[in-house]
Amino acid sequence: MSAAVICTDLSKTFKGGVEAVAPTSLTFAAGQTTALVGPSGCGKSTLLRMIAGLEQPSAGQITIGGQPPEETLRKANLSVAFQDPSLLPWRSVRKNIELALDLARRPKKDDDIDQLIRLVGLDGFAETRPAELSGGMRQRAAIARALSTKPDLLLLDEPFGAVDELTRQQLANDLPGIWEARGATTILVTHSVSEAVMLSDRIIVLSPRPARIVEDIAVDLPRPRSSDQARRPEFGAIVDQVFAALAHGMAETLPKAAQ
Amino acid sequence: MTIATPAQRWPVRAGPYLGPILALVIWELGARALSDAFVLAAPSAILIYLSDNAALMARALGVTLGNAAAGFVIGNLAAIALATLAVVWPRSDAMVRGLALLVFCLPLVATGPILRVVFGPGPWPQIVLAALAVYYTTLIPLLVGLRALPTGWLDLVRSYGRGRMAALIHVRAMAALPYLVAGLQIAAPAAFLGAMVGEFTGAERGMGVLTIRAMRGMNVEMTWALASVATAVAVLGYLAIGWIARLFMADEPPVILAAPAEGGRKGSRAFLTVLAVAAAMIAIWWGGLRLLNLSPFFAKGPWDVFEALFLAPDAAATRSTLANAMRETGVFLLPGYVAGLAAGAVLAMLVVLFPAISGTAMPVAIALRSVPIITTAPLVVLILGRGALGTVVLVAIMVFFPTFVACLHGLRQAPGRVMDVMRSYAASPWQVLLRVRIPAMLPAFFAAARMNVPASVLAVTVVEWLATGNGIGSVMALSASLSDYDMLWSSVALVCVLSAMGYACVGLLERRVLAAYAPEQLA
Ligand SMILES: Nc1ncnc2c1ncn2[C@@H]1O[C@H](COP(=O)(O)OP(=O)(O)O)[C@@H](O)[C@H]1O
Ligand SMILES: [Mg+2]
Repeated sequence: MSAAVICTDLSKTFKGGVEAVAPTSLTFAAGQTTALVGPSGCGKSTLLRMIAGLEQPSAGQITIGGQPPEETLRKANLSVAFQDPSLLPWRSVRKNIELALDLARRPKKDDDIDQLIRLVGLDGFAETRPAELSGGMRQRAAIARALSTKPDLLLLDEPFGAVDELTRQQLANDLPGIWEARGATTILVTHSVSEAVMLSDRIIVLSPRPARIVEDIAVDLPRPRSSDQARRPEFGAIVDQVFAALAHGMAETLPKAAQ
Repeated sequence: MTIATPAQRWPVRAGPYLGPILALVIWELGARALSDAFVLAAPSAILIYLSDNAALMARALGVTLGNAAAGFVIGNLAAIALATLAVVWPRSDAMVRGLALLVFCLPLVATGPILRVVFGPGPWPQIVLAALAVYYTTLIPLLVGLRALPTGWLDLVRSYGRGRMAALIHVRAMAALPYLVAGLQIAAPAAFLGAMVGEFTGAERGMGVLTIRAMRGMNVEMTWALASVATAVAVLGYLAIGWIARLFMADEPPVILAAPAEGGRKGSRAFLTVLAVAAAMIAIWWGGLRLLNLSPFFAKGPWDVFEALFLAPDAAATRSTLANAMRETGVFLLPGYVAGLAAGAVLAMLVVLFPAISGTAMPVAIALRSVPIITTAPLVVLILGRGALGTVVLVAIMVFFPTFVACLHGLRQAPGRVMDVMRSYAASPWQVLLRVRIPAMLPAFFAAARMNVPASVLAVTVVEWLATGNGIGSVMALSASLSDYDMLWSSVALVCVLSAMGYACVGLLERRVLAAYAPEQLA
């Protein structure tokens, strides 16, 4: 089961007066992976956090599968993976995953957890604590934790953000297949254009702060996608389109900011 | 090649022990040289006294340890409960902190006799005093620890639809554990101190009782033996808790010394908070007496104190007695307080300028900080007499150790990157000290300065109570022995309020100074 996320006139202005998200209406189709792309600081995380129920919108509405986010939260039916893996340092990889299951009030099945750990490529590290893992391995653990509760909605905030470029490519190669197989509605925040094209069914390009939708781009490339495809002209065309939209968003905003 | 021969290695290994051994030898020789002056007992004499009176000492130690342990458990449980309340229900935070501070500012020496009439004979006054001596130093690090965690961990809990209780149980509790240990380490010797202060004020058994007896009898060996045992117990308690913690904890406990500076609350808001805390304190005081149904002869409520201070026929006389006593006390307290702070800060800076000593200075200073200075009050009186100097020195020593440890820690906190930049400009150690280290030290220094307000009040009142016959401590002792309960309660209330105000004043000064010299520390 997966659920569509519908945002209606959603906006957020922080207490200090920082307008992070301008009124935005947006639908994330059920079972699709949608990438949010925009310059750093434009309000991507804020948008995601509002959908996750971690931040109250200043105005507007969100429904997830036709219900308010509180209902989804109550059923622990979404998972968030943050840029910072946020693993608890005193718990092993397995125990960190178990924590998510505990919090979500799901049964802890050893076999399922083992399988998940194998799937993300952490075989043999189940009993290891985060401090002894590399950055990339921590991201893998965080993804495993997010998937463990089998959520209908998966929110990924730059899940490959805090690692070096090589590791990042490797993660982007290994992990998406796992969550795509689950069929959850996935919202992926990234500032890497090629990553967005590679992983998503649709890309929303956002303007600099406050975030507005500049362009809504469908990615009609066949799946599964491989790094070979990244060299194909269709792929390149979409990448160019996204870059053009980003530049357009910048150009529209900058003169305004100069006033 | 730099291979150390055994001959070269020997002094290195003996290094840490050389200092203490030298000190013991000097102590022994000094005591023998001064044997006519009746101030100093040689280590050998102390050992002989202890072995001759082993049964007596062991009994007293057992009693005091028992009371201290009970107070330790009660006080720390109270601290954990209060910290939990403040975290689960954040609105209560200001109230919890305010009330906790007021209770922490109660002058223990005068609280002792009041507890004695409330509880009657038996160990409870000592136990309650021990609990009062420990809860604040546990509460403050715990409040820091329960909050000092990445917001991502809390977001994780919330993203599964769980609330504050789940965050507390699954995330905060473990995250705060090292902070709890840091608090408990300070609490162990403090509990012993509290129990002894309780015994000073009218118990039948225990180390405190023996200490009073030794002082009255001018028994130099006994006084020194008692102080040595108290010191050893305190340091052992500190080390034992660290050792137990290390068995099940990966990280060293952090050194947390006091609450970080309060965030810049708006003036009117702060005023309202103070009013609310004061009102709550008065309500608790009044309600507590009602609930315990105590005799109004010794259980004075807020109204009784107000009456004694402002309405009674002798109110003016009472006020002037208290004012004079406070003035006398202030004359000892302030120089001692300032001298202790200055000595602590300056010595810490010197130690940092000479890295060779700083490696050993920290553990030694941390161990010495846990010595219950008050238990050495009789020694200071023996050595420096019952005059002003002894009192000032005792206050200064009481203030010195926590300040020294805090400053040393703060000076070491200087961010490594900035230090590297300074080094790349070939900055001298002095410049590094002035530009980088001292600004990094200021928050720790002020935290120590705040926490030391009540500590120095405790020191001064204990000496006045035990020895000098001056100031507010002596007024307390006198009114306790004369059963002048109006005066006793009034002096407790007055000292408590003044200490809390002193604490607040240091906090204000702290914000001013940090804003001017180290604005990055105010974040
Ligand atoms: N809690 C907050 N309070 C005030 N401003 C915030 C807060 N969180 C984010 N912001 C501001 O909102 C803007 C958008 O932030 P964010 O959504 O994190 O951007 P992005 O994820 O696109 O890089 C930034 O200017 C940031 O400084
Ligand atoms: Mg972000």
